[in-house]
Amino acid sequence: MKIDRDQIRMVIALFVVAVIAAAVTGLTDIFTREPIAAAQRQALHKALQQVLPVHSNDAQAAKITVNGTTIYPAKNSNDQLTGLAWEVTAPDGYSGSIRILVGLRTDGSVHAIRITHHRETPGLGDGIVNNSAWLDNFVGQGLTSKTWKVQKDGGDFDQFTGATITPRAVVKAVKGALEFFHDHHDAILERVMLAQTPDKTTTNGGQH
Amino acid sequence: MNKSEIFADGFWHNNTVFAQLLGMCPLLGVTTSAENGFWMGAATILVLIGSNLVVSLVRGVIPKNVRIPAYITIIAAFVTVVEMAMNAWMHEMYLVLGLFIPLIVVNCAILGRAEAFASKNSVIDSLVDALAIGTGFTFALLLLGGVRELLGQGELFGFSVFGASYPDVLMFILPPGAFIALGFILAGINIFNAQMQRRSDERTRVANAALAALAAEVAAVEVSS
Repeated sequence: MKIDRDQIRMVIALFVVAVIAAAVTGLTDIFTREPIAAAQRQALHKALQQVLPVHSNDAQAAKITVNGTTIYPAKNSNDQLTGLAWEVTAPDGYSGSIRILVGLRTDGSVHAIRITHHRETPGLGDGIVNNSAWLDNFVGQGLTSKTWKVQKDGGDFDQFTGATITPRAVVKAVKGALEFFHDHHDAILERVMLAQTPDKTTTNGGQH
Repeated sequence: MNKSEIFADGFWHNNTVFAQLLGMCPLLGVTTSAENGFWMGAATILVLIGSNLVVSLVRGVIPKNVRIPAYITIIAAFVTVVEMAMNAWMHEMYLVLGLFIPLIVVNCAILGRAEAFASKNSVIDSLVDALAIGTGFTFALLLLGGVRELLGQGELFGFSVFGASYPDVLMFILPPGAFIALGFILAGINIFNAQMQRRSDERTRVANAALAALAAEVAAVEVSS
């Protein structure tokens, strides 16, 4: 088979274009990697500030892992645990999964929750994000203090007119977080204690 | 064509949305508010300028047979750069626009400009064209986003316009509202264009009508014979 010059030109042209495109995107990745990580840290920091009780540590830096879940512990200035937060995913949102950052007090009740990611219908299901009054329904509630279902299913939590699926998914996911804390209570506290020791030796300053 | 003609053509007469009806996916997908529409448009302008510039620079160098994969690679590289930059420095808007940013790659309007304009014109003209097409597309996104936000939530750029008592017309936020609003906007623009047309060449219109009548007569004669 004879390869003519046109074919070689085509191959070279595409090769050069691909190499340059790869170089440009690669360089951009190098330049944006740190800002992207910083932006994500900042977003998580903001959310953690909202769901955790008042704390003086860097909850993000103090993160621990229990059963594959990354947990952000909040501590006061005496290095005592005041709360915990982690993200749970509700896979059964109306359109795709909803991620919720759940902040718990040490007694296992909810301190606050925030929606960190969702694709719910604007103006309908996305009320869960904007409607802080509804999110406040969870504050102070433990596993036994409420029936963890929406009212339509015989529970204690309101659904919205025309949007039952979103609140149902959120209630279920937050309940899952409470159960996780209940089930792994000892393991979580143990891990926090373990993490405390090296924490004290390093300079424990607020990085933010 | 001189520069201002290129701009007028790209922005209005050949507008991506109003004339070509291209780029419908981002247009209908992200325009739930004026702000979303604006930033989607801004991202598209950046990609268009980059791709038109590079495609115009390499015109004549890329063999004809492989120009489409080459253009797509160039466009994809620019989209990736814009996506990473937005993720880094406009994180919240990046989360809102999400999937629609990478989808700029398959916005046929961009490949269309590379193929139909930048590959045949000078660098400067291609940049003017990119700016015209990009701002025209942004204008369309902004208009549709503004209309939907206004009717759907009574707000514009997040500021209340009709007051708190405005009953949200949910339909305009939902996908069907995008189609309905776009339909009315297109109808309005067609009326506007038609009026401009009528005013500018009334005489040609009369002549054309006479010509059409003549053609119909000829056709009728042909059919009867």
